[in-house]
Amino acid sequence: MTNLKKIYATLALSALATVASVQAQETIKLGISAPMSGAAAVWGLGMEWTAKQAAEKINLEGGVTVGGKKYNFAVVAYDNKYTAAEGTKVAQNLINRDKVKFIVGGIGTAPISALQSLSERSGVMIFISAWGKSVKGPQFPLTFTQSNTPFEILDPLYKYVLAQNPKAKTVAILNANDASGKEVELVAQKAWAALGVKVLSSNWYERGTTQFQPVAAKLTEQKPDIIDLGVAPPADAGIVLKELGVLGWNGVKVLPVGTSATQLAQIGGAAANGTYMGYAGDYSSSLATPVQQILNQGMLAQFKEPLNPLQVSSYDSVYALKAAMEASNSIDPKKIAAVLPTLVFETSYGKTVFGSKAIYDSPQQMQVPVMITQVQDGKMVELTRIIPEELKTRLAAAK
Amino acid sequence: MEIFGQLFLNSLQISAAYILFSLGLTLIFGVMKVVNFAHGEFFGLVLLLIAVLVPWLNNSSVPLVVAYGAAGAVSILATMACGWFLYHFAFKKFQRDMVGSFVLSVGLSLLIQGLFLEFFGGVPIKLPDLIEGNLRILGGAITTQRLVLTLIALLVAVTMCWLIAATKLGKSLRAVSEDHEAAMLQGIPYRKTALYGFLIATFLAAIAGALLAPVTVISANVGSDFLIKGFIAIVIGGLGSIPGSIIGSILIAVIESVGGYYFDPSLATLAMFVITMLVLLVRPKGIMGNG
Repeated sequence: MTNLKKIYATLALSALATVASVQAQETIKLGISAPMSGAAAVWGLGMEWTAKQAAEKINLEGGVTVGGKKYNFAVVAYDNKYTAAEGTKVAQNLINRDKVKFIVGGIGTAPISALQSLSERSGVMIFISAWGKSVKGPQFPLTFTQSNTPFEILDPLYKYVLAQNPKAKTVAILNANDASGKEVELVAQKAWAALGVKVLSSNWYERGTTQFQPVAAKLTEQKPDIIDLGVAPPADAGIVLKELGVLGWNGVKVLPVGTSATQLAQIGGAAANGTYMGYAGDYSSSLATPVQQILNQGMLAQFKEPLNPLQVSSYDSVYALKAAMEASNSIDPKKIAAVLPTLVFETSYGKTVFGSKAIYDSPQQMQVPVMITQVQDGKMVELTRIIPEELKTRLAAAK
Repeated sequence: MEIFGQLFLNSLQISAAYILFSLGLTLIFGVMKVVNFAHGEFFGLVLLLIAVLVPWLNNSSVPLVVAYGAAGAVSILATMACGWFLYHFAFKKFQRDMVGSFVLSVGLSLLIQGLFLEFFGGVPIKLPDLIEGNLRILGGAITTQRLVLTLIALLVAVTMCWLIAATKLGKSLRAVSEDHEAAMLQGIPYRKTALYGFLIATFLAAIAGALLAPVTVISANVGSDFLIKGFIAIVIGGLGSIPGSIIGSILIAVIESVGGYYFDPSLATLAMFVITMLVLLVRPKGIMGNG
């Protein structure tokens, strides 16, 4: 046998051994309940994709080691259509049929409330991006929030917008008429009022609406300086902005849940320019970590949409889960959930922690930067990035 | 005055789409006594096909207007073929069977939506505008594109009404709708008429989709919202009644537009259901329903 043949034979044997060892490992299923069709589809599809990237990377690196045993991750995702009814079906599928013990991504307060009603009593640990405050607290010990919510975003976003537009004194608010919208609207009303901005009207629309002309007419009724589009996903917000443009309104546009400029600009056209967003980030810039830059390129290739904080949150949750499993040396969700708030763990942003006990009475909020962006000439420009004070303090203490 | 003009324009453009959609629904019910919950999928199929074809043609240096025209024609023909297929292999076997056709159409709707998601993905698509610019009419604002498409939609609806009121085929459809056995005794071929009725309804859903393609956001479940509104319109107007479906469509468009402005868009949706209940209490067969 020549030396070259020996090398090939050795490589082939080691590849077979690797495959055999990977196959011998047990698989832990990670669930996702998110909208994968309709106006918010790109959020759920992106969330599924980043979770799979994290799972594949961890599996390739040898999986999760618990009690000397290796485990692989596999992602199972279902479309919750942003509704409580579908959220209930997804919860049943994930927990009762697929026997999932860990859910690494959830979007929508209504479907997540439906999921939570089953997950907590079934001992299933969930990481969610739902914006409602009602889904967190000591009564939900197995629930963790994986990305920023209005309580983290609205105050810095509104302050920034007002600093840039000091003459703005009035606002009209639009929200989807569901659990997410209802909870965010209360926070938004208080936040605007605290900054001295008068709320002229607070309006609602049903998810799935296709005709937004009446909504636009209603929003511009009292000639507000600012229009706050609340939890409207980019596809809905784009149509509203376009209709506002047709009506000739050109004030300050704020989209707290704005996750990217691509869809907003594609649908809203020139009317989307100037929109301030609180839930997007420029993951292609030098401000982003190398991992985020790679994920961003993958998202662009896969969905023609740049990465956003909502989508990357499931990637971070998979890593948080891995860290907590290894730290607790257990795959029992209750033991893992007890350890997680004490850990400093790696995410796509770098090291972070769970905190915000002062707001939610329980440290269940992942601490990640608030990024304020704006649509300029159809493209997203990151204006500022705010690191939470609690994260700075915890990381300094950990050093 | 300005706001009344705006509300009028909003009502006009919303009602044009609903009229085309509900005309098809009521035609199928009238002729076949089938409540077709899969009707929205014909509308969705046209939009999804156009969403694939227009960018492809446009990227192949075909002018946008020609791309829309060609994509619209191909998509409408493909949808008609799909309608013919579903009629022959599914709906034909459940004519005048309310329960069977209900189960069939709901099942088909779910199946087709699943296939749409599989083939076209769930990400919403917005196609480029066909006509740029805005117009001011009666103090209200409307895009030139929407006005043109609304007028075409209304023209199609008027033509369809004329076809049903004045042609031999229309008379056959009305006769079958009123009493299919009596119509057959008069020599009207029921099955052929039912097929024509189904295909005309499919065409109406397809043309509504083609007309809305440049102005709406396209997704796999785009037909669902129109289906609900279309049903409310024909229930209010009277199942199977052509004038009833037009009256119902205009009524819900006005509620959506005026109610949405003076109260709240969500309350306007609620008001539609309340009005439906009130109409059914007073006239169980709808405003223009027989009996």
